[in-house]
Amino acid sequence: MKVETKIFNFEDGIDLENGTKLSSFELIVEMYGELNEDKSNAVLLCHAFSGNHHAAGKNDEGLIGWWDQLVGPEKAIDTNKFFVVCCNNLGGCSGSSGPTTVNPNNGEIYGSSFPQVSVVDWVNSQKMLTDKLGISKWHFIAGGSLGGMQALQWSISYPDYVLKAGIFAAAAKSSTQNIALNEVAREAIRKDPNFLNGEYIAKGVKPKDGIKTARMLGHITYLSEENMDLRFGRKFQDADSKISGEVDFEVENYLQYKGEKFSESFDANSYIIMTKAMDNYDFAKDDDTLSKSVRNIKASLLIIGFYSDWLYPPERGKEIQVAAIRENINSSYIVLEGEQGHDSFLFKTEKYEEAIKKFID
Amino acid sequence: MAIEISNIIEDWVPDNSKVIDFGCGDGSLLHKLKKDKNILGYGLEINDKKIISCLEKGVSVIKQDIDMGLGEFESLGFDIAIMARSIQCLKEPSLALNRMLSLSKECVVTLPNLGYWRCRINLATGRMPVTPDLPSSWHETENIHLCTINDFEKLCSDESITIKQKVFLNPNGKEGIMSSINPNFYATEGVYLLEKK
Repeated sequence: MKVETKIFNFEDGIDLENGTKLSSFELIVEMYGELNEDKSNAVLLCHAFSGNHHAAGKNDEGLIGWWDQLVGPEKAIDTNKFFVVCCNNLGGCSGSSGPTTVNPNNGEIYGSSFPQVSVVDWVNSQKMLTDKLGISKWHFIAGGSLGGMQALQWSISYPDYVLKAGIFAAAAKSSTQNIALNEVAREAIRKDPNFLNGEYIAKGVKPKDGIKTARMLGHITYLSEENMDLRFGRKFQDADSKISGEVDFEVENYLQYKGEKFSESFDANSYIIMTKAMDNYDFAKDDDTLSKSVRNIKASLLIIGFYSDWLYPPERGKEIQVAAIRENINSSYIVLEGEQGHDSFLFKTEKYEEAIKKFID
Repeated sequence: MAIEISNIIEDWVPDNSKVIDFGCGDGSLLHKLKKDKNILGYGLEINDKKIISCLEKGVSVIKQDIDMGLGEFESLGFDIAIMARSIQCLKEPSLALNRMLSLSKECVVTLPNLGYWRCRINLATGRMPVTPDLPSSWHETENIHLCTINDFEKLCSDESITIKQKVFLNPNGKEGIMSSINPNFYATEGVYLLEKK
């Protein structure tokens, strides 16, 4: 698989949904496969809250991409056929402009001064990337969770640029429960003594404990009750692999380990920006009904939900489809078993792979 | 689905109409209607393999069990609903029929006829009918609500459903003389265009 990582610079900046402007910005992008002559085989992947541009294959640090199970040679999204693009979103912390990068206007790290971006802003910035790549229509735009919201928003904002859209484990808006859970996570970060109102980088510290707690909560919401039972049950962690002496059960060890690892790599301000973008998303907010918002979609939609997902349950996907049917939009809605709860969209199952493959081929 | 049936249904489906097909199978009918009549079609299906076949054909499909209710499909502007060879598999056929007619102006129903003479002979010999048209034995069949042509027409009359058109097919899937004269005895399948009075 041909992989290219590139940083694109947008010197004209971008007007954000909240009324502010980023005077210039950068997006780090990974690209797989090759763009064909008539540029008709381009696929855009939109990452979820903690994802980044590294969607497939193994990178220099030996990390496997977040959607490697479904993206690659002869996989559901076949990089032998398609030119696949994935960028780290604005406000992220993996190389695109965000709280950990330098504000070109004053030469200082943005920190908490990085503006609150939105799903619409991400889509607009990805559209600017689209123009730089010379692509006039994406064959397929897809993502799970917050990434699914972007795929949906693309179809709404730029109907002529999307042929097919895959909206997986996503919703037209975050639920009250989603917002509530995110707020607990943010509170854990804000109350970390090292958070320092978001100015921790300048002071040379990191609110790791807060990020860790937030992520532990997150992981509970990404899994289903059944999956946790099957995977960990009430088993005790063996003494040799305990992450700390306070751990008894395997599930505790798992959450401790995942939280700790995440806290080393993820930025606290990014965490807040990303979760706020998720909470704020409501694709119908400018219109009185969902139907009006989807009216101009030209893409065919494939909406997939997973039975075990209680964070963005399948019914949320169904709402999008019912609105789409009302407005005569081609749209399919399927629900799959998926054992991993909300995280199911990341994992390959035979039916999931087949559905995507047949839909886009 | 036999070519004959899909041709009959195609004649009844208006050009450019919005169609919902309950139990759409692999999406063949919707695919044909899209090609020949430029319809906007949506299919309901519960079998994952068949759903994948729909996606492969570019047919819009919804994974849903018809027995679980169809409430959310009301007022979505369907011109015509199709239920081909599915009504006899439902837990509540009468309810489903009425629901279909509340969410679209017209509705096409096709169903196997248990009154067909070979079925009657089977029953006369004391066995549940197994015919080329109803090939599964009683314990394997999905058909839990089989009826005769007369039974179905009685239900329509009881439910104030108008039969706008009907066609009866013989075992060869054709409109035969005998199956038109005495459909309840000679037809293997009834094809109906219905409307709510």
